[in-house]
Amino acid sequence: MFIRQETIEKNAILMLVLTLICISVGGIVEIIPTFTIETTIEKVQGVRPYTPLELMGRNIYVREGCYLCHSQQIRALKDEVERYGHYSLAAESMYDHPFQWGSKRIGPDLARVGGKYSNDWHYAHLINPQSLVPESLMPKYAFLAETPLETGLIVNHLRTSRIVGVPYSEDAIANASKDLLAQADAAADGDALLKRYPRAVQVAGKPGEPTELDALVAYLQVLGSMADLAGATPAKLKQ
Amino acid sequence: MEEVSSIVVGILVLILGFTGLVLASGALDNEMYIFGLSLAGFAVIFEIGLIKAHFDRSDAARRGGAGSHV
Amino acid sequence: MSEATMDGFAAASAPAVPRAVVYNEVIVKKFVIAAMFWAVVAFLVGTVLALQLAWPAFNLGFSFTNFGRLRPVHTSAAIFAFGGSALFATSFYVVQRTCRARLFGGEALHNFIFWGYQLFIVMAALSYVMGFSRGQEYSEPEWHLTIFLVIVWVAYAIVFIGTVLMREEEHIYVANWFYMAFILTVAVLVLVNNVAVPISIYSAKGYTVYSGVQNALIQWWYGHNAVGFFLTAAFLGMMYYFVPKQAGRPIYSYRLSVVHFWSLVFMYIWAGPHHLHYTALPDWAQTLGMVFSIILWMPSWGGMINGLMTLSGAWDKLRTDPALRFSVTAVGFYGMSTFEGPVMSIRSVNALSHYTDWTIGHVHSGALGWVAFICFGAIYYLVPILWKRSGLYSIKLVSWHFWIATLGIVLYITSMWVAGIMQGLMWRAYDQFGFLQYSFSESVNAVHPYYVIRALGGVAFVSGALIMVYNLIMTVCSSTTERRDSAVAGG
Repeated sequence: MFIRQETIEKNAILMLVLTLICISVGGIVEIIPTFTIETTIEKVQGVRPYTPLELMGRNIYVREGCYLCHSQQIRALKDEVERYGHYSLAAESMYDHPFQWGSKRIGPDLARVGGKYSNDWHYAHLINPQSLVPESLMPKYAFLAETPLETGLIVNHLRTSRIVGVPYSEDAIANASKDLLAQADAAADGDALLKRYPRAVQVAGKPGEPTELDALVAYLQVLGSMADLAGATPAKLKQ
Repeated sequence: MEEVSSIVVGILVLILGFTGLVLASGALDNEMYIFGLSLAGFAVIFEIGLIKAHFDRSDAARRGGAGSHV
Repeated sequence: MSEATMDGFAAASAPAVPRAVVYNEVIVKKFVIAAMFWAVVAFLVGTVLALQLAWPAFNLGFSFTNFGRLRPVHTSAAIFAFGGSALFATSFYVVQRTCRARLFGGEALHNFIFWGYQLFIVMAALSYVMGFSRGQEYSEPEWHLTIFLVIVWVAYAIVFIGTVLMREEEHIYVANWFYMAFILTVAVLVLVNNVAVPISIYSAKGYTVYSGVQNALIQWWYGHNAVGFFLTAAFLGMMYYFVPKQAGRPIYSYRLSVVHFWSLVFMYIWAGPHHLHYTALPDWAQTLGMVFSIILWMPSWGGMINGLMTLSGAWDKLRTDPALRFSVTAVGFYGMSTFEGPVMSIRSVNALSHYTDWTIGHVHSGALGWVAFICFGAIYYLVPILWKRSGLYSIKLVSWHFWIATLGIVLYITSMWVAGIMQGLMWRAYDQFGFLQYSFSESVNAVHPYYVIRALGGVAFVSGALIMVYNLIMTVCSSTTERRDSAVAGG
């Protein structure tokens, strides 16, 4: 098929249709297969939906624009793996709506920051980063410690997440509020929480009154710790 | 053209304004509340502008000026 | 010079007897004012961010003044508010003249586009500082703002395409090809990338339907083509009208514009995955993205060559017309950025450059050097015509603006090159025992001087823009630029 440019540029609709075809090809060829090819997401065990508190913490991470300075994507390069840990897998962010891989490291990568520091370190660091890392360029997030976490809509958050594909069970949604409060209080009984969400880290909030800082720390402490990397063979990681 | 455009756009903005009021009335967070009210405020001011433009045009037409595109 | 001679079909389409068309210039004026206002806002916020990175105390400790919330304000103000308003202004100006038709849709619709778009920008900026963001770069407005933007955008498409359909000229002028591709593609990009489910229709918070790796790919398909179609194709449209107008020469090659238009719109779309090298995105997608990014160098330079060669025979005008100097330097920066881009998209180069300030420098050589400069050139050309003045208030001030802004860009991009390459090298450096040589914080310390230089570059660029604002206000108000003869009005 050959259409003369002279014909096209005398017909606006034809030009728009041809432009639409041109811009569609690349997108279709690249995007559709990542949904249909099964190996796009590696077969590793352990990746689970976020706990209600982690999810709320994640929303704070998104809203504060943390992704603008911190990546969450360790590239498959020798120095990165040595500095930050095992390179990131697609499976590890499969429940991330939105993904937070980032594009710039004004601060270090956070893909595997979970468990690297204590809860106390995170609290102190977020309130005043320079007190622990003098050269840090990070803004102070002391206000998060004074802002009560908005928990009234937690069920909506979980239900909406389920609509977009995160497998929260009815059980998890029914107990969302309970799980949230249990995780925000280090003294609370966390058995039910840990059964539903293995490896969740309880943080030291004021019982019954979680702050935004509690939620953010809970999120940071789970980053990169879910996937069972010890049991992941090269065959399972092949994309 | 100008009159048809005013009516169509006027109705569209009216719908937007009412949507804004509905959103503000049920808002669950500050952002939605402010957005809804702003949308409603925007609609009110924009409609006043449309009404003013309508009468400006009919004034111009009565004076027989060249400004009429009706 | 008649419009018809510029589309390369001068001989084929003898202009008919010109019918008196009353162009809607009020809407163009409004968007020009908005563009200058948002330019200053965007540059100011950018400079504040640069200062925050040099000295974190500038974050002030409030939630709404923190870097993370202000950064989307800066990018949205620069791309969508300043760039967008300049594109609305020039596209409405260009489409009316090159089609010899009044803007389609009636003034009510034009005003809806103007005020609707301004409301969108203000609401978006407000939502970021209040703590609402989709958390995807250049695509931060939450679902309710996206829907509102789509409504405004549809109105824009109706007006622009409607005007093209109502044209008196037989051929669609090349600038309009680019503007149409821009309008169409941006609509597709936003509609696909921003699909989200709100937690309640009464809440601004929504969850995007994509997750993880697919979300990453679609985001950078969006992000790179926001660059490709918003910041490139659309501004090429601007170039294809204003450079020939300012130089008083026809476009260098019609054939080249045809070839590079179609190859550009076809190839740009593929390039997104080069933002995701060595990540969890499957290798085949990374390779596709890289290959097309490199090929893309050619159509990009097709545009640059066409722009620069249009000057042949009129290069002397650069000495006397500093506004043209802006446009031509912009095309030069366009050529440089579109060479640097393909280089950085090569995997092994990207291994070093990704996550560093090199990327930031690259973006700004495009955003300041290309986008802002081509806008400045066009606006300096437009203001005396739109406000029917005899000329600019001060040519000397334009010259000052040009050199201060250029100095700002040079400071910016050279400091970011040094900082970026240094970061990349420090992060991968090993000592003699085979351990990583530097901690992350050492690399933060090392780039501090360059962050200060970058902030200075920002200050220079803002100062230039303020000079421009002063010059334009005086052009409109001063008695020295007395009204033109009405017969000449309208260029």
